[in-house]
Amino acid sequence: MTESMKKTPLFDWHKAHGANIVEFGDYLMPVWYGGARTEHLAVVSQAGLFDTSHMATLRVFGKDAYDLLQWCFTRNLDACVGKDGAPLTDGKCVYGLFLDGHGHAIDDSIVYKIKDGEFMVEVNASMGGPVAKHLTEQAKGRDVTVIDLTDNLGKIDIQGPAAIKIMAKVLKDPEAVFDKLPYFSAKGHFDPASTLAGQAQLLDGTPILVSRSGYTGEVGFELFVERAQTVKLWEAIMAAGEPFGLTPCGLAARDSLRAGAVLPLSHQDIGHWPCIHNPWPFALPLTPSGDGFTKTFLGSAALDQAADAPYTLTFVGHDFRKVDTHVARVFLDGKEIGTVLTCVSDMAIGRHEGRIYSIASPDQPAGLVIKGLSCGFIKVGGKLAPGTAVELRDAKRAIQVQIETDVRPDRTARKALKSFM
Amino acid sequence: MYPSDLKYTKNHEFIRPMGDGTAEVGITSYAQEALGDVVFVDLPEVGATFEAGEEFGTVESVKTVSEIFMPSAGEILAVNETLEAHPEFVNEDAFGKGWMVKVKLAGALAGDLLDADAYAKLVSEESH
Repeated sequence: MTESMKKTPLFDWHKAHGANIVEFGDYLMPVWYGGARTEHLAVVSQAGLFDTSHMATLRVFGKDAYDLLQWCFTRNLDACVGKDGAPLTDGKCVYGLFLDGHGHAIDDSIVYKIKDGEFMVEVNASMGGPVAKHLTEQAKGRDVTVIDLTDNLGKIDIQGPAAIKIMAKVLKDPEAVFDKLPYFSAKGHFDPASTLAGQAQLLDGTPILVSRSGYTGEVGFELFVERAQTVKLWEAIMAAGEPFGLTPCGLAARDSLRAGAVLPLSHQDIGHWPCIHNPWPFALPLTPSGDGFTKTFLGSAALDQAADAPYTLTFVGHDFRKVDTHVARVFLDGKEIGTVLTCVSDMAIGRHEGRIYSIASPDQPAGLVIKGLSCGFIKVGGKLAPGTAVELRDAKRAIQVQIETDVRPDRTARKALKSFM
Repeated sequence: MYPSDLKYTKNHEFIRPMGDGTAEVGITSYAQEALGDVVFVDLPEVGATFEAGEEFGTVESVKTVSEIFMPSAGEILAVNETLEAHPEFVNEDAFGKGWMVKVKLAGALAGDLLDADAYAKLVSEESH
């Protein structure tokens, strides 16, 4: 470990609580505490707490902030909310990507509209600087400012069915916070000077931005707070969560949960190839017929020409055994057809008579023992139908897997908050 | 820190000579800590023979799949069958109920094995 590695405000807490610390990009982060399998299962059945302070947040503001984001961000801010494609309004957020001129992913992101002329852009660890630089270059004389808030903020994710009851114990007016807080919306602000700061506060008045979002597929929140308040927020939630089985979770569980939720990891499942032909078409501003875009944006011209782009497909195995993605190749009928981008074990799922069940599935057959399944993403030359069997081979083993449209069933992320109170 | 009646390898296996020409083999408590939750242990058949340093199986955790190497040449006499249903025994008690194979040693113990103090020194150098 070198002195140049960065630490979040919770580093000492992680070490004091037995975390196994690893290098993740520029940061020293917990990969697990008690065990990745325990933590993964805890999120699906109760709740888990994640230190995500290594992620980066940008402030994009000014008269032309909307114009800049409409040019650089893949979602159409006029038509991106809900089934009917409503505009992004105050307090709403949306998932999409920043592409380069080749249609390749620079990073994925959640963009929040705070108010007219004021947006918050959440990107991945160590990407605050690069994305801020990219947006500033693309601004080209527009009236817009980009400020990188990396190192100014702390972020904590609480995910799992017990998250609502736990947060209700630490928030000042939980009924008001949870009222009309649909999936991908936010209340409050981390800046005490913001007009929104009163919308969501801890019991002692500390303002927080509560975002109904996450990276696990399970219901919960991403919580943004001024950096100096991070440890206090974490400890308050851990104390409130104790009777509910709240478990601190590291990056290994975060990775296996997001894979089971069919979510990409930036620079692994999306990257230096056209961002098309993948499980995330909702990240692009497609017309209802799906054969064009509703706006022109940076990268759209390249994607229009990308009919030959490789296909990124979701797979699930038949047991939890994995392959080493650094060397693994994909084989169809004995012929090599591609590479493996992600391969992890979702320990909360199992197969039974042609269906995948989760430990949370209300209709799981009596006596079904769930041991986990390998899952992830492959990149191949041509499209394969769901149900297609392929073989993943690394230097040591070969595993049979199946192309799927979904992985972990019965995920809770979109469920009404009321059903958890 | 590490049991003094065992010998160790640089790859974090241990070997427990039983005094009668047989020995128990497994991975160390340090190895299981680094691997995380062990979910599967792939072990050889009884009767298989291995040279010192030869790979004899794999340990799969939620994070990774690691090869395990025979500390000293020998023939497999027994395999810990309980690990099939309880791979977590490796995490819970690596030197005890997490044992992996019993071998009939093919001669003297390999010369490059470490004693408990040398192994503790190796571990402290690796983790800094």
